[in-house]
Amino acid sequence: MNKFINAPEDITKELLEGYTLAYKDIVKLGAENIVVRTNPKPLDKVAVITLGGSGHEPALSGFVGEGMLDCSVVGDIFAAPGAQRLFQALQMFKRDAGILLIVLNHSGDVMSANMACQLAERAGIKVKQVLTHDDISAGLDAPDEDRRGLAGCIPLAKIVGAAAEQGKSLDELVEIAERFNKQIATLAVAMRSCTHPQNNAVIASLPDGIMEIGMGQHGEGGSGGRTELVSADNTAEIMINQLMKKLNPAAGDNVLLYINGVGATTHMELNIIFRKAYQVLTAAGINVVDARIDEILTVQEQAGFQMILGKLDADHQDYLKNGRSNAPYWVNIGK
Amino acid sequence: MTNLTIDNFKAMLNLALKNITERADEFSKLDAITGDGDHGTAIVTALTAVVEGSKNGSEFKQMLNDMGFNVMLQTSGSTSTLLGGFFLGMSDGVDAGLATLDASQVKAMFKSGMEGVKKNTKAMPGDKTMMDALVPAIEAIVSCDSEDVKEVLMAGAKAALEGAKATVNMKANFGRARNYGEKSIGYADSGATSWACMFESFANAL
Repeated sequence: MNKFINAPEDITKELLEGYTLAYKDIVKLGAENIVVRTNPKPLDKVAVITLGGSGHEPALSGFVGEGMLDCSVVGDIFAAPGAQRLFQALQMFKRDAGILLIVLNHSGDVMSANMACQLAERAGIKVKQVLTHDDISAGLDAPDEDRRGLAGCIPLAKIVGAAAEQGKSLDELVEIAERFNKQIATLAVAMRSCTHPQNNAVIASLPDGIMEIGMGQHGEGGSGGRTELVSADNTAEIMINQLMKKLNPAAGDNVLLYINGVGATTHMELNIIFRKAYQVLTAAGINVVDARIDEILTVQEQAGFQMILGKLDADHQDYLKNGRSNAPYWVNIGK
Repeated sequence: MTNLTIDNFKAMLNLALKNITERADEFSKLDAITGDGDHGTAIVTALTAVVEGSKNGSEFKQMLNDMGFNVMLQTSGSTSTLLGGFFLGMSDGVDAGLATLDASQVKAMFKSGMEGVKKNTKAMPGDKTMMDALVPAIEAIVSCDSEDVKEVLMAGAKAALEGAKATVNMKANFGRARNYGEKSIGYADSGATSWACMFESFANAL
């Protein structure tokens, strides 16, 4: 796969430089591989931090901004940042109000977060973790620890970001986040895999005409298995039905429905997918009150998308819809 | 010996580093059977950071804390996480300000070290990991009747070595090695072997 890159080992550094130059009024590099807000949040409010490998742009650094994340700690391509880097960020954001650390459930991220939090605790830094595990491909009854963190972390970041901006305490934010965690589910599908930009290795190649439901954001297989490619409507129906089985939304419930393109699937296709999923929800009497068709977390040139369904409590809906954010990739008309 | 001093403890660490360094290739070769073959290098690097962190120590609690901090910040990967968790946990198990420990305090320190490791892994005894050396070692240390620190650590060393040996007949059931299934039988686990070497060195240094 040909890519517009320079030296492979410089990708992460260079992409973060480009990003923070383009949106310098909103984000800047606080230290190497640590993206922070240009206009920092007051110290009396909880800081919201996340961590993760690069190669998934705009996630996660694209969502640093007022009303969302205070900081993202970036690892190399598809790799968790080390505990040292994360601990450095926790030290930078040390405050009496505390730090909420959003961790996507991937083993490297979890390990770095646990280590950094153990050190932080000893250094008198108040920090609590929220682990996201929205993926449902491990099975509807799979324990949370076996469920990966997919793009559902982005609406979560918006919700806790808005709540933190309003001055909610660390304990309140954990409660808001954990309640949302139980009500959000994501399912991914891929029809063409991607290459690792540093070594060109093909990640889980998929034959032409085959799709895999459940493929994760590093191209790793899920449990949905491979099937022949079917129409957009059929694909959307299979996926929204699985998500509805997981969450059991009732008629009258308010939900969010996001379609996240992972890199090589056109917005044309994403719109067609969204249409069917929306129709299925509406036919069941469910209200789609927050919708997005966007690329929020990508996987290089993988073709496919993640479908995200979340039941919204009134406060979640308010934080999501009415809280303002200037994060560069949280696209809002008229923001 | 009825008391363990800071200098005794540093001697234990130094002998462990020396013996583990000498056997690093053996650990890496064991690791290569079901993993990426870097365990020898990883444990030497991690233990070196541990020893560095102990240099200025004059009382147990702070010194153990510094050792854990040093290995977790200077290195990365599961070997250093587990070793870091072990020493941070040990720090939690001793009262502040102590420069000598009696046998019951040594037992409490090691028991707390195991709790620190458990914060960093979900592996259980029988999964063919370092836990197969650590858990029996700590159980033997805690249940040893002796008030003599060397005898207590000898009991730990014996149990750790037996535990590591028992991994030969186990099937890997944790982490990436799990994918090797039956192929993992017939060889000792690299982590259990290196941790057993550490416990053996601790006892022999006294």
